[in-house]
Amino acid sequence: MTINEPLLWQVRVFIYNHFADTALPPSVEDTAKHFNIEIKEAGTLYKELHNRHAFFLEPETLMIRMANPFSGIPADFRVHVNGKTYFANCAWDMLGIPAALASRSDAVIEAVCTESNDLVQLEIRDGKVAQAAVLGGGVSGTSSLLVHFPLPFARWYDDLVFT
Amino acid sequence: MLLFQSEEWIERWCRRNNLERGEVLSIDQVWELSKLWYHDRLSPNYHGRTVEQAEEIFKHAGLMAAFWYLSKEN
Repeated sequence: MTINEPLLWQVRVFIYNHFADTALPPSVEDTAKHFNIEIKEAGTLYKELHNRHAFFLEPETLMIRMANPFSGIPADFRVHVNGKTYFANCAWDMLGIPAALASRSDAVIEAVCTESNDLVQLEIRDGKVAQAAVLGGGVSGTSSLLVHFPLPFARWYDDLVFT
Repeated sequence: MLLFQSEEWIERWCRRNNLERGEVLSIDQVWELSKLWYHDRLSPNYHGRTVEQAEEIFKHAGLMAAFWYLSKEN
C-alpha cells in the first residue's frame, strides 16, 4: 500500500494531541474514526510511524506503548499537569512531558528512585525545577537526584524499553 | 533512563545487574536537555530528527562526551 504522507503525519499529530488531552493513546479504531478511514488503513499508518520511530507499538499489536515522552502504559514516573496525570517512560521523559506541554502549566512529578525504592516528588514551576522532596526524608535540593543513561546514544534503538 | 538518589545507588545497581556505568546527569541538566529535545514534539512540523540534529542538541546542552555521539571524535 502506498503511504499517504500528509495523512501519515496528521495521524502522528492526532496521536500526540490525544495523549496531551487525555493522557492516553488513541486506539487504532479511534484514529480510523477520526480520519474517516478504514481500520486497516489506520493500522498500516500506525505500523509505518512505528517503523519511522515516531512512536513504538507493543510487539505484534497496534497498541501504542510509547510516544516519547508519553507512556501508553502505567509506569513508575507520574506527571501531574493541569489536572491530568500522565505516565512517562523513564526519568528523562518525566521531565520531557512538562517540556512538551510547556505552554500549558506547571507540573508535579512523582517518581520511584531505582535501587533505593524511595518515592520522590519534583515540582516544575515557572520553567524551572523548583523543588525535590524525598518522601519521608524531607525537602532536599534538586542537585542530589541523578539520572543514569545506561547506553550510549548509538545504541538507544537496540532495545528501546531497556534504554 | 532511571532515577537515583546518589552515585552510591547507581554503583550498587550497576554491580547488581553486571552493567557498566553509563553517563550520569543531574536533574537540572536533564531538565535543560528535555526542553531542547521535547519542546516541539506536539508541533505538526515535527517529523523526527536526524542523527546530526540530535547531536547538535546534545552539544547545545553541554554534553560533550563521546557517549552522546555516533562518532568518537567530538
